[in-house]
Amino acid sequence: MANNHVLVIGGGISGIASALELANGGLSVYLIEKEATVGGYAASFCCKATDVCSNCSVCVVPSKIKEAVIHPQISLLTNSTVQKVSGEVGDFRVEITQKPQYISLERCIACGMCTEVCPTEPKAIYLPSAEAIPFSYILDERLCLRFKGEDCNLCRESCPTNAIDFKRKSKRQELSVTTIIVATGFEVFDGREIGSLGYGRYPNVLTGLDLERMFNREGLLKLPSNGKEPQNIAFIQCVGSRNESHCYCSQVCCKYAMRFARLIKYQNPNAEVTIFYIDLQTAGKGFAEFYEECKESTRFIPGVPVEILEAHSGELEVKFENILEGKVNREVFDLVVLSVGMVPRKDSWDLARILGINLGDEGFFDTKPLNSIETNVEGVFLAGTCQGPKDIPNSIAHGMAAAKRAMEVLVRCR
Amino acid sequence: MQVRIGIFICDCGKSLSNIDFPKVKERVEKFQEVVYVDLSSSLCLEESREKIVSIIRERDINRVVIAGCAPELKENVFGKVIEEAGLNCNFLSMANIREQCSWAHESDVTNKALELVRMAASKARFLQPVEKKDMPVNKQVLVVGGGFSGMKSALELSGLGLRTTLVEEEAVLGGKLGEFEGFYGIETTPEEMLSSMRKAVEENGDIEVFTSAEIARVEGQAGDFTIRIRRGEDKLSRSCGAIIFATGYMTEILPQDFQLKPDVNIISRRKLVEMLQAPGELERRPGTIGFVLDVSDENSRLPILSTLNNALAVKERLGSEVYVFCKSLKVDSEGVEKLYREARERGVVFLKFEEKPRISKKDGRVKVEARDVLLGEEVTLLCDFLVAEEKVLPPEGTEALSSMLNIGTDSAGFYQDENVHLYPVASERKGIFFVGGCKGDLDFTRISTDISSATMSIYKLLSPEKVMVEVEKVKVEPEKCRACLTCVRVCPHGAIQMVRVDTEKEVAKIYDLACDGCGICAAICPAKAIRFEGYADEQILAEVEAIGESL
Amino acid sequence: MNREDNKIVAFCCEHSAYQVANKAGKMRLHYPDNVRIIRVPCAGRVDVQHILKAFEKGAAGVLVMGCQEGACQHLTGNTRAKERVKYAEDLLKEVGIDGGRVKMVNLAPDMAQRFIREVKEMTEKIEGR
Repeated sequence: MANNHVLVIGGGISGIASALELANGGLSVYLIEKEATVGGYAASFCCKATDVCSNCSVCVVPSKIKEAVIHPQISLLTNSTVQKVSGEVGDFRVEITQKPQYISLERCIACGMCTEVCPTEPKAIYLPSAEAIPFSYILDERLCLRFKGEDCNLCRESCPTNAIDFKRKSKRQELSVTTIIVATGFEVFDGREIGSLGYGRYPNVLTGLDLERMFNREGLLKLPSNGKEPQNIAFIQCVGSRNESHCYCSQVCCKYAMRFARLIKYQNPNAEVTIFYIDLQTAGKGFAEFYEECKESTRFIPGVPVEILEAHSGELEVKFENILEGKVNREVFDLVVLSVGMVPRKDSWDLARILGINLGDEGFFDTKPLNSIETNVEGVFLAGTCQGPKDIPNSIAHGMAAAKRAMEVLVRCR
Repeated sequence: MQVRIGIFICDCGKSLSNIDFPKVKERVEKFQEVVYVDLSSSLCLEESREKIVSIIRERDINRVVIAGCAPELKENVFGKVIEEAGLNCNFLSMANIREQCSWAHESDVTNKALELVRMAASKARFLQPVEKKDMPVNKQVLVVGGGFSGMKSALELSGLGLRTTLVEEEAVLGGKLGEFEGFYGIETTPEEMLSSMRKAVEENGDIEVFTSAEIARVEGQAGDFTIRIRRGEDKLSRSCGAIIFATGYMTEILPQDFQLKPDVNIISRRKLVEMLQAPGELERRPGTIGFVLDVSDENSRLPILSTLNNALAVKERLGSEVYVFCKSLKVDSEGVEKLYREARERGVVFLKFEEKPRISKKDGRVKVEARDVLLGEEVTLLCDFLVAEEKVLPPEGTEALSSMLNIGTDSAGFYQDENVHLYPVASERKGIFFVGGCKGDLDFTRISTDISSATMSIYKLLSPEKVMVEVEKVKVEPEKCRACLTCVRVCPHGAIQMVRVDTEKEVAKIYDLACDGCGICAAICPAKAIRFEGYADEQILAEVEAIGESL
Repeated sequence: MNREDNKIVAFCCEHSAYQVANKAGKMRLHYPDNVRIIRVPCAGRVDVQHILKAFEKGAAGVLVMGCQEGACQHLTGNTRAKERVKYAEDLLKEVGIDGGRVKMVNLAPDMAQRFIREVKEMTEKIEGR
């Protein structure tokens, strides 16, 4: 087999782990990412250490992303999606479409002059985040005046490297690869689906993801309603998991809730943190000790909150069934965090159809029993949470395992 | 040879307005040994890179300072640029005048920028070349442990074209796989899985098996380990490039938790599996079987996994009533939530307690009393058999192997230090990996994934039969070494060993492939005999001194 | 600001603190400009002599910044650094320099606000505020 290319669909931590293994193993990798930047969800999470590490593994992500992006054998294609796949293992033909690159990645030096002159509010041309990789500005067509018919050229004229060109069109490319690894990741359960919990209506009801992003950006916890530090915080576990429509445990929520609980107490020793749970997931390396420490500072209540109501004061009243006492209680908190789980991406349907792979009962991509990498199509493998919920270390391991499987195909052919 | 420094300053498209660049250029030109200063607007673009190459050549520059944006994404680009110009890529020193200067401060930062450039230039003066070379590695792999994980690792490695030596303590391969009843919903029984794996291993020409054997000694480094194997009276020697530890785990019924000694009615999981495999041999079908979990260990996955599988098997084959006492169900593994619901649908009753159940005997049966939190009532169960929870423990010999090899364990005694940078399967030492139950985390999917991660890592490392290393980037200067062994003890990656240089003297040697470039040894050496190129003492001190110098 | 007497030398580990300083810059979060960052491969590379040289050459404060405890890429580097900082602190006290002028800081790559807080705190200490 002369071709030694592999396609990895998805530039989150799993896709990156796969791409790195393959590239370091001597192969050439096309890493396709739908968004303008790579890193997926994990890149937006925060460190949850107190005076010691809490083993959340968020800090291992940035260096892997950088290694992948500068790797000579990885061709990164951002703003790209797969349109069509034909062929078979050893010789897949994949049609990729890349959105118009109005801002050239090769020429953007991220100086920021464009955003300074952009007349819209919010800015149509902006840096996605401080940790964005590729570190380049991006254009939001929905906000840009040009796409509303105006002939605005302010950003283009201000750009010192002539990186901006509105005449660029979307590009089609056909890639020829031996194997395909699907690493498209997950979506976060939308807290609004459980209306009685008030997410989206009450500003002080947040999700675990909101917390990650808040800590990542600000370094501390603030009430969305008034910016003050919350003193009484509740976490509600299993929101969107372990129910009829999502019959699985999302594996990460109990741990992130406990890590946040400890972090919050560390930053604000007077705060009270309560975790409402059904079954506490405390297995895993080093977690037993952590859990013991947590017990001392956090209230654990086996119970299922059914309703959250906002009082005039802005405080949140949580009505829950206290399993230990066998009755319904109400308690008041400043901030409620819904520990939302992982759900399959809605666009998995499209990709499944394009690749000819099946979706399982829960909507994640399906694999053979006792084998979490192979799909029903030979040569197409799964990596990461697109196959089912996983934490960061497991996502990395899964990505590496998928890479191994792809490598095996090539080794056999030699 | 005289140092000739070329300084390339980038004003990032003229956007760094709080730095007076002409002033910086003018002052920098006066620095010691600086022969050329270039100011441009977008140094990282292709056209500028070509310009850098020609300037280096024209001006005979042999040390390059680039003052611009953060190094991490541009460093290797510029490294290649100077290589193109004929310089060793290590002759590059970068000053971050954007993210860590212009962008970080509101006021005019010309002076700070100037200092940062001078720091980089001072360091550049002391830079030495580092060569890259291909180091040959031994393609053979050692797998310690012949259970499921060990066998699967060896088979996968063979599939990737690598040969293994598999060493197993017991007389037969198989480990704990045979003790499992089955995986619910899967046709193949563990017995069948086991015999087909054993057969595949035994018939595989790439796998050399030693049973009733143990590892006596491991010497060397990644790419070149020497192993001494002891099999009875025999001593064998093998070489390999990497090692996978798949030494498994132990389980124990803790007597303090199950107050009565394990007897005919309080049985282990293994005993239950035996019963399930030969139901016809039982005197009579047990009417009620109970399981107790979360008494010896609240934080383990294996008990619930095996309980669910076994409970369903009991329902299917023995038709008994099944009750499971637990505190918090560990469902965070693939498929377990579904398995739990299936068990409930089939009539397995789950009782949740907060305080540990009291276990006693009554009329020849086992009595379990607990307060079920869901019912809010005291529950008393009389069962024919009670399957006792088993605590999962690291296997014997873990501590000994761990200290012999200088590899860490976690707080529960299982392999792999808890440090997140080692996940999923690495050890502190390059070339040594852990898979399976010996890591402590036990569910089938994770173990399979881990095995593939390890085999892929090893393939990456060994398959080309050579690895590109930076030669002596961190080096012990033998004349200065006083053989105090401090560096050997302190190296977190176990990359330093003593070597004999002549009949009198032993000195420390740093192995390039195993070295991970932290510099802890260089800092701690009492004789200052270790030089870390790129971060050598004189280079760091030059940077420090440049701060103090007046502008 | 063009003072010569309030410089802080920050030895920053490339895996954590150096990245954090970059993040702070990218977010355009401002902090005092008396900090001079020296990049090291691991906090464990920093030796007592480096810290003392900084003071000898006129630095008013030294920060040694590495990964969170338990999360050092090189496992023990940040612990070694902490020991050396303590040792340096004791030595400094002996020569009449307030021990609080040298500090070990542990952080993760995303902690921009923490980096800024530490720099500001040390600057305030130096400037006697």
